[in-house]
Amino acid sequence: MAQLAMLIDLSRCLGCQACVIACKAGRELLPGERWIEIREVVVGRFPDLRGAFVPHRCFHCAEAACVQVCPTGALYKRDGFTMVDFGRCSGCGYCAEVCPFHVPRIVDGRVSKCATCLDLIQAGQEPWCVQTCPAGALQCGPREEILAEAQARAVALRERYPNAQVYGETQMGGLGVILVLTEPPEVLGLPPRPQPLPITVWKGGIQPLSLGAIFLSALTSGIAFFIARRRHLEEKNGAFARSGKAQASHHPNRKE
Amino acid sequence: MAFRTTRWVLRYRPSQRLVHWVHAIAFFVLLLTGLALIWPPLSFLAAGGLSRLLHRAAAVVFLLTPVLYALLDFGGLRDLVRDSFTYTREDLEWLKGFPGYFLGRTSHLPPQGRINAGQKIHHALTILSYFTISGSGLILWLGKGSLGPTGLLIATSIHDLSMAIMAVLTVGHIYFTFVYDALPAMTTGYVTEEYARMEHPLWLASLPSEPPYVIEVREAIPETPEEHIAPLEKEAAG
Repeated sequence: MAQLAMLIDLSRCLGCQACVIACKAGRELLPGERWIEIREVVVGRFPDLRGAFVPHRCFHCAEAACVQVCPTGALYKRDGFTMVDFGRCSGCGYCAEVCPFHVPRIVDGRVSKCATCLDLIQAGQEPWCVQTCPAGALQCGPREEILAEAQARAVALRERYPNAQVYGETQMGGLGVILVLTEPPEVLGLPPRPQPLPITVWKGGIQPLSLGAIFLSALTSGIAFFIARRRHLEEKNGAFARSGKAQASHHPNRKE
Repeated sequence: MAFRTTRWVLRYRPSQRLVHWVHAIAFFVLLLTGLALIWPPLSFLAAGGLSRLLHRAAAVVFLLTPVLYALLDFGGLRDLVRDSFTYTREDLEWLKGFPGYFLGRTSHLPPQGRINAGQKIHHALTILSYFTISGSGLILWLGKGSLGPTGLLIATSIHDLSMAIMAVLTVGHIYFTFVYDALPAMTTGYVTEEYARMEHPLWLASLPSEPPYVIEVREAIPETPEEHIAPLEKEAAG
């Protein structure tokens, strides 16, 4: 399937929490678990208030830090979304440490974050959050189309919101959730330029090097064992001591 | 029935053997459950969090072994630390002859005391990596959820590197144990006098030549021809 993405238009979000509940019920989440949170951000002094309802949920980074650190492959990319295989999750919590948006949580010993309604999309339906939104703030479709739609909406919003802009086109390699913002990202609590981490130093350098050193030492020892064992028995049984070579190499301080 | 007498030398006291095996078992549980997060073929162990539980249980045992050693045999722990960090000119000479020792020869090496230079380095690195692996491990355990990306990367990198050092040391440790028949030192506590003479002559000379330091074991030598040889001989004669 082509790269998919979701659109979230903050100018239309009512903060009604319908998506939160639809997601929780539709995905049968555990008590205390939610994959979407809506945060109300208000800045300025009355009466000059600005703000928006900002979704706190997985933004499905193309270069996802959580996928890069996941030791078991429980997190993986598919069709532009960051998927979760809960059966493989060890609950180590590395994903929660590295996410630039602080999204993943550990609930009941395993990761808790949007696992994507890819099953619904494949069945020709829309994700729970999208089909429930009463304000038309959410859309899902091919990333190209979603991005074009987001840009068109941002332009149309400029008259009312001079700072209207698209968020997610380039961040973390491009997000799988394209946001239409009414204010600059830093005002809404979103990092303007989240930095991918030097994870390759660890996952691509230190870990393969460590494993390589262990296997190489085991291999070397395995081969050397047969030589060393024969030579040791030779020395122990005196066969070596009688040869001229032994006389030359014998340490002068040794008495035997 | 013929008999043969072998002289055995006490290498490790019961408390030292106990501490060794407690530490060894904890180490291998930690290694296996830890590798589950690094080596994909083992990642099935990590699913569901069982390996994390085992890793933490073993970590507590691993962390406490020096305390156990101090309680059971403080002198042994003191000697270990002192000997591991005291190096002489003979040690340097021994290290120059290491390639030969690696391939099964000892006669070219200067006579060694209780611990040879290779064992000293092995112990010293084990002690140092005990602190780095425990420190980084405790940070990963107790700091879970508040490390941030940088903290996680630094702590896991130190943890992984310490693990690699310890694992490679362990490979060498097992290798030399079996090349030089040193296993009885950690099972019965005794090594053959021959082993002590080849590997640690100065140490052997420093021991009183009486029990429990040196014991004589009389064992029966089986009558020849042995049972399984008899039919072969009959066949050859026929």
